Amino acid sequence: MNQPVNAVERRDRIVAGLLSHGTWIASAAIAIGLALQLLHRFDASIALADSGYDFVKAGVVIFIGLPIARVALLFAIFLRARDYTFVALSALVLAIIGAGVVIAL
Amino acid sequence: MASSSVAWLFAASFGASALGGVLGMASGIFIVPILTLLFGVDIHVAIGASIVSVIACSCGSAAPFLKERLTNVRLAVVLETATTLGALTGVVLIGIVPTAFLYGLFAVILALSAQQMLARRREAVSAGAADARSWATMLRLHSSFPDRALGRDVRYQVGKLPLGLSLMYGAGLISALLGIGSGVLKIPAMDTALRLPIKVSSATSNFMIGVTAAGSAGAYLVRGDIDIGIAGPVALGSVVGALAGAHFLMRIPADKLRIFFVVVLGLLAVQMLLSALGLQIPGGH
Repeated sequence: MNQPVNAVERRDRIVAGLLSHGTWIASAAIAIGLALQLLHRFDASIALADSGYDFVKAGVVIFIGLPIARVALLFAIFLRARDYTFVALSALVLAIIGAGVVIAL
Repeated sequence: MASSSVAWLFAASFGASALGGVLGMASGIFIVPILTLLFGVDIHVAIGASIVSVIACSCGSAAPFLKERLTNVRLAVVLETATTLGALTGVVLIGIVPTAFLYGLFAVILALSAQQMLARRREAVSAGAADARSWATMLRLHSSFPDRALGRDVRYQVGKLPLGLSLMYGAGLISALLGIGSGVLKIPAMDTALRLPIKVSSATSNFMIGVTAAGSAGAYLVRGDIDIGIAGPVALGSVVGALAGAHFLMRIPADKLRIFFVVVLGLLAVQMLLSALGLQIPGGH
């Protein structure tokens, strides 16, 4: 690799940070949602079931978005490093994922 | 969904992920059989839930590998063009292929995984001079990783990229069709075609699985094929299970667990094959 090792290490640490923080946030959202749904079952008078579902859904959506955000982050890092081959490759990955969503619509 | 079902979904995913973590395998391959055979969930809903848990486990376990410089990020991006293209093909095909075919294909993948688990992986690192005209050289994919046993960085070269890309396309396709990480195809691609050191291969494969799975999960979410009530507890159970597996279960003798997993994979393969043929076993759902 032509890039200095510390630049590569810094890139990998930024990506690691995104993935681990994202996992925590998504897991916490699902856990809070499930807890709210459970509370609703113990005491149906508390109107928590809907917000519980919304939290779980948010967690699932964050999980699905996380790898896509990771590719977008790499796209930005490669762009900054003017590594245009990898800018194109990460853009291609994003385009293919986007095409799947468009086909499903 | 009843609270008891949510708790059981969480517990089953936790158990599968924790035990799988000891052997370094993703729990995805167990989630679909557990959901269809034990919980009586429709196979398409099971695939949707499983693919989310595959993403969750990939993202949750990526950071330590990255920090230890075991993940080859550049190689991952190159291979992800093939895996996401495979996943896109899977998204198109899943609406067309009959359910019986999905069960049958799952049985084949389970049987192959059992066979792969029996055969130990061997290091097949290419140490010779890099071919200056190879794709891997032009894309600057050759790298190094810190080997703790040797106490120094070990350089490695990336082997046959076109063959690796073809196998990765297949892995992406199978991942989207069955809701799994497709380790069964990624391992031969990484070991035989690309000839990576096992640690680099495992870390890079795990890193890519999330993006591959997001390629189909995004489409399934938009299409309404992901049941949040099932996917939520399964994803959470898998992430917590993978963490627990890594931290607490290291002392279980891996060889005994390996045999146990081979037997379980074999039994699940038979069950899925029977489902493919439209046969029900007493005690099944």
